[in-house]
Amino acid sequence: MSLIKKFWQYTLLIAAPFLIILLSLLIGRYPVDIGTVVNIIFCRITMQPCNVEDIYQTVVWDIRLPRAILGAMVGGCLSISGAAFQGLFRNPLVSAGILGVSSGAGFGAALAIIIFDQAAAIYASAFTFGILAVLFSYLISKVYNGTPTIMLVLGGTIVSSVFSALLSLAKYLADPMNELPAIVFWLMGSLASARYSDIIIAGIPMLIGVGGLMLIRWRINVLSMGDREAHSLGINTSFNKAIVIGCATLATAGAVCVSGIIGWVGLVMPHIGRMLVGNDNRILIPVSFFLGAAFLVIVDDFGRILTGSEIPLGILTAIIGGPFFVYLLKKTKGGGW
Amino acid sequence: MAPLLEVKDVSFKYPQASILENISFHLQPGEVFCLLGPNGCGKTTLLDCILGWLKPCSGQILLNGRTVQNMSAPQIARQVAYVPQIHEKTFPYLVRDIVIMGRASFIGPFASPSAEDVAITEKALDMVGISRLKDRSYTQLSGGEGQLVMVARALAQNSPLIVMDEPTAHLDYRHELIILETVVELVKQTGLAVLMATHVPNHGYYFENQGIKARAGLIKDRRIMASGKPSEVLSEHNLGKLYRIKTCIVDCQLESGERIKQVVPISTINNL
Repeated sequence: MSLIKKFWQYTLLIAAPFLIILLSLLIGRYPVDIGTVVNIIFCRITMQPCNVEDIYQTVVWDIRLPRAILGAMVGGCLSISGAAFQGLFRNPLVSAGILGVSSGAGFGAALAIIIFDQAAAIYASAFTFGILAVLFSYLISKVYNGTPTIMLVLGGTIVSSVFSALLSLAKYLADPMNELPAIVFWLMGSLASARYSDIIIAGIPMLIGVGGLMLIRWRINVLSMGDREAHSLGINTSFNKAIVIGCATLATAGAVCVSGIIGWVGLVMPHIGRMLVGNDNRILIPVSFFLGAAFLVIVDDFGRILTGSEIPLGILTAIIGGPFFVYLLKKTKGGGW
Repeated sequence: MAPLLEVKDVSFKYPQASILENISFHLQPGEVFCLLGPNGCGKTTLLDCILGWLKPCSGQILLNGRTVQNMSAPQIARQVAYVPQIHEKTFPYLVRDIVIMGRASFIGPFASPSAEDVAITEKALDMVGISRLKDRSYTQLSGGEGQLVMVARALAQNSPLIVMDEPTAHLDYRHELIILETVVELVKQTGLAVLMATHVPNHGYYFENQGIKARAGLIKDRRIMASGKPSEVLSEHNLGKLYRIKTCIVDCQLESGERIKQVVPISTINNL
């Protein structure tokens, strides 16, 4: 591929999430034209009074913008973690939830909904249990020397099923009038309640996670050679795996605790990245982030505008992502698999 | 001068079974050591101990005078590189992306390869003669080409010793020879030392015929049964004991006047 074509491809990939965020400020129940949106953003950033009706200002600046930004962050985090785990586990069918972070977060959220029923408590509990689940998976694999990959997968399976069972128990015990629907809706994933404060709170672990994965991304190539070869190539496999797992888990837990369970992004977006730019994690890891960010904002836009009421995100990611993935597989003939 | 590799009295046990007992040998720069023995005799286990992947239960392994057990993974990788028997291919990486992984021990955990690493990678590809493949996806290569990529990756590691675990298993005649010729060329040009586990006694004879310093070690019943020059160690008697087969050593003169020795297998023996 020529350098010029590559340059435009990367420019487009990086610009896509920003353009899509801007676009998503225009659409919804109250359509706003682009001039007004630009005006509002300009006024708010420069702290000047705005001659736009208050309702539009609120819709664009307080509702749509934080939601789109959070959506991009969540999508990017799920996708980048999925890409990292696919490399680490040497398996293209792995997603961000392989070590149980989603199951743990789901249970944590359900528990908080029953006990506290408060947004902040739900975030904290989902985040904590998501991290705990991965920690358990990791400790299970530690039974063997040096956390072999297969034991990590097994640990993740065990922990996921235990937390799924605990989640079922929580649902069973929940008040069916208020709590149970709240749990079910949380599990379907949504960005509807996004505020700037969410971006800041959940943004910290997401930033640390994404930053760490960006820094260690070349090592993921080496780790994907398998433990023994990675060791003989000269890297400390346990240490490097722990960093990748830690960063991916922080990013995913940060995302899941504010958005609920959103499947599919962490599996498919890295694949689309592989088809577009190849498998070298030096390029794939950042590309996965931007693709995931763009994808989730688009899906969230569809969720807002398709019907009178909102469609939960977790449902739409699969319905939109599935056929799109099949189309891409057919078009690129699988990209060398 | 301390030998490049010194294996002193090494024993290895799994809880249920003893695998290796009192293994000792050493390797100097510019030398090829062929490790032979029946399936399951512990060749790979011994290589894993040398690579620091397994820890021997007793005895000592020294790389350039330092004990492997006390060295970190990057320290070991700078002394010894590894060419695996079967490389399980997962993602369709490009050949150059694979070979540059040989630089891992020189690159910090949060860094990526530099221009210098790229230059060393290109040189390694060139030495093995596969520069033309560098932009190909390595999952689409043939077995022989894939094995050359593994050799190039080991070379990029710039270590004085390369350990190869049956590098020519399931290769055709031509590609087997290409690998052997590459090894001979590298040993002659760079003074590299190679430790090679193999099932083919003729590999030992091949290296000796090519005029490089070659030795063979035979592992039988957890111990080194014999070691020394291939033409002395790989005798009809020793091969009979090692594999329970009848063989014939043939000695012939090529048109160029060069004399070469080879082993010809004749039949299996059931009692010995």
